[in-house]
Amino acid sequence: MSELQLSDIRKSYGSLEVIKGVDLDIKSGEFVVFVGPSGCGKSTLLRMIAGLEEITSGDLTIDGERMNDVDPSKRGIAMVFQSYALYPHMTVRENMGFALRFAGVAKAEIERRVGEAAKILELDPLLDRKPKQLSGGQRQRVAIGRAIVRHPKIFLFDEPLSNLDAELRVHMRIEIARLHKTLATTIVYVTHDQVEAMTLADKIVVMRGGVVEQVGSPLELYDDPANLFVAGFIGSPKMNFLKGAIEPGDGEQLCVRLPDYADAKIPVQVAAAVPGTPVTVGIRPEHFNETGPAALDLTIDMLEHLGGETFAYARHGKGDLVVIETKKGRGLKSGDRIAARFDPACALVFDVNGRRLR
Amino acid sequence: MTNGIGRAAGALLTYSFLGLMAFLSVFPFFWMVLGATNSSIDIIKGRVLPGAALATNVGTFFAQVNAPLVFWNSAKIAILSTVLTLTVSSLAGYGFEIFRSRHRERLYRAMLLTLMIPFAALMIPLFIMMGQAGLINTHIAVVLPTIGSAFVVFYFRQCTKAFPSELRDAAKVDGLKEWQIFLFIYVPVMRSTYAAAFIIVFMTAWNNYLWPLIVLQSNETKTITLVISSLASAYYPDYGVVMVGTVLATLPTLAVFFFMQRQFVQGMLGSVK
Repeated sequence: MSELQLSDIRKSYGSLEVIKGVDLDIKSGEFVVFVGPSGCGKSTLLRMIAGLEEITSGDLTIDGERMNDVDPSKRGIAMVFQSYALYPHMTVRENMGFALRFAGVAKAEIERRVGEAAKILELDPLLDRKPKQLSGGQRQRVAIGRAIVRHPKIFLFDEPLSNLDAELRVHMRIEIARLHKTLATTIVYVTHDQVEAMTLADKIVVMRGGVVEQVGSPLELYDDPANLFVAGFIGSPKMNFLKGAIEPGDGEQLCVRLPDYADAKIPVQVAAAVPGTPVTVGIRPEHFNETGPAALDLTIDMLEHLGGETFAYARHGKGDLVVIETKKGRGLKSGDRIAARFDPACALVFDVNGRRLR
Repeated sequence: MTNGIGRAAGALLTYSFLGLMAFLSVFPFFWMVLGATNSSIDIIKGRVLPGAALATNVGTFFAQVNAPLVFWNSAKIAILSTVLTLTVSSLAGYGFEIFRSRHRERLYRAMLLTLMIPFAALMIPLFIMMGQAGLINTHIAVVLPTIGSAFVVFYFRQCTKAFPSELRDAAKVDGLKEWQIFLFIYVPVMRSTYAAAFIIVFMTAWNNYLWPLIVLQSNETKTITLVISSLASAYYPDYGVVMVGTVLATLPTLAVFFFMQRQFVQGMLGSVK
């Protein structure tokens, strides 16, 4: 188990800066997930930790030791790649033992470690097969096995489940979670799938444009996003954003007037907001209910029945679509007018720069 | 109905054309083999049926030609040339594709430009260079100019584009140095590319005629192509014997092709799957 620290890490390709000063502390045994849209720099940051990309400036330390210029194989890391990166000309056994062979580990010890990893991942019957004779899920297990046998201080996963079908992805997700529990090793995991992030992570790092937008536990990020980007990125379906402006409410309390929704007024708990300030109100789809004190007058545009719940896509006039999650949506139909009620305490308010107003 | 006739006529035309092309490709081989069984006079007369002069032709060929030496010379040059060309060109192709530098593309284009220079323009400077190095009438003089092949470098670079960069990354994490990645990962993964290049380079080297004709001057160093040429340019050439020579000269390249044809096809389609 190991600690990993990134201090003002930067990466530039010529004049183009792609990682713009990342500070991050990863504790021993933590499962940390980097999420963000394509091109946000999450894979580049992972590759910098692995030593596959040079660090332009800043410090990368593992267990207090500066690793910027240390060879990838000497950092105590093991990496699992998106495309598995298994050597096609070697058997599963050879693939798993290859790094150890190069490190000069004794043959008997290699056999022992490969056998141990094969047992954990149920790869015993596949050890003498070539990668092309394996299914996607089996290949991914071999890739993980290849990482395990090295007994690394830190596991790095680069979108390891992206190439698998939906069912297998769920299965492998559980396998990885189980593996983390068994090995209790530090894991840094890159994904663009927020379900993976929410279910696996102890800590999520949300990135955009080479910058860390927010770091926190999955539920912290979900319940208390620091800005509009994180609020929109975490959660599926994504949070509804309604444009409005701050207005004086009853007594000391302020409210937000929503001109696109028949001038609906929503009381909000924000300090230091000047009336007239344009803001965005965020409401999660599941926060709509039948009893909340605030309401939006909407017409249903489209419905998605998922069995257990229904997603209703509704709008007011020509305004933006609002997604409503309800357990009682079976009786609804397109064209129905509804009063979408919610508790204003659940509404989040963001300023014009996307910063959260509290 | 009209459509059916039109389609049948189209198919007939296509197959007639393909048949003609197949005939044009196969006939020279067919004629060569038949020629080896006929006397020189029958060949001149245009006989295209099997004859009874095979034993005589073979006997004359082995009487006139020191076959083991000539074939050994050709094999030595072809194998050496192929191994060195593949080594140098695959290293260069890998380097051009994998390593980034500001001048990489300029250097690559300059190298490709050398394809435009006809060999006739290089012959004299090459001959002078070999002369100054004291290599005239040696097999090294035949091999050296073939090693730096722009075409084979181009071929390897194009094929390296299909080499997954994640394999290289995985190998780095596994502790391999760049030369080890090349030797233990790239070479085995790209073996179909090597097989296709091997066939092309081996055939070119085996059939090489002009440059060996210039630098190889003694009978002890001559290759099979030079010997066949000298048989054909005799005052009274015995075409039956020439045909025996060409049949025998074709066998090694045919053997190489049949031995590696699966990898050759795979290499031409792209090595990495």
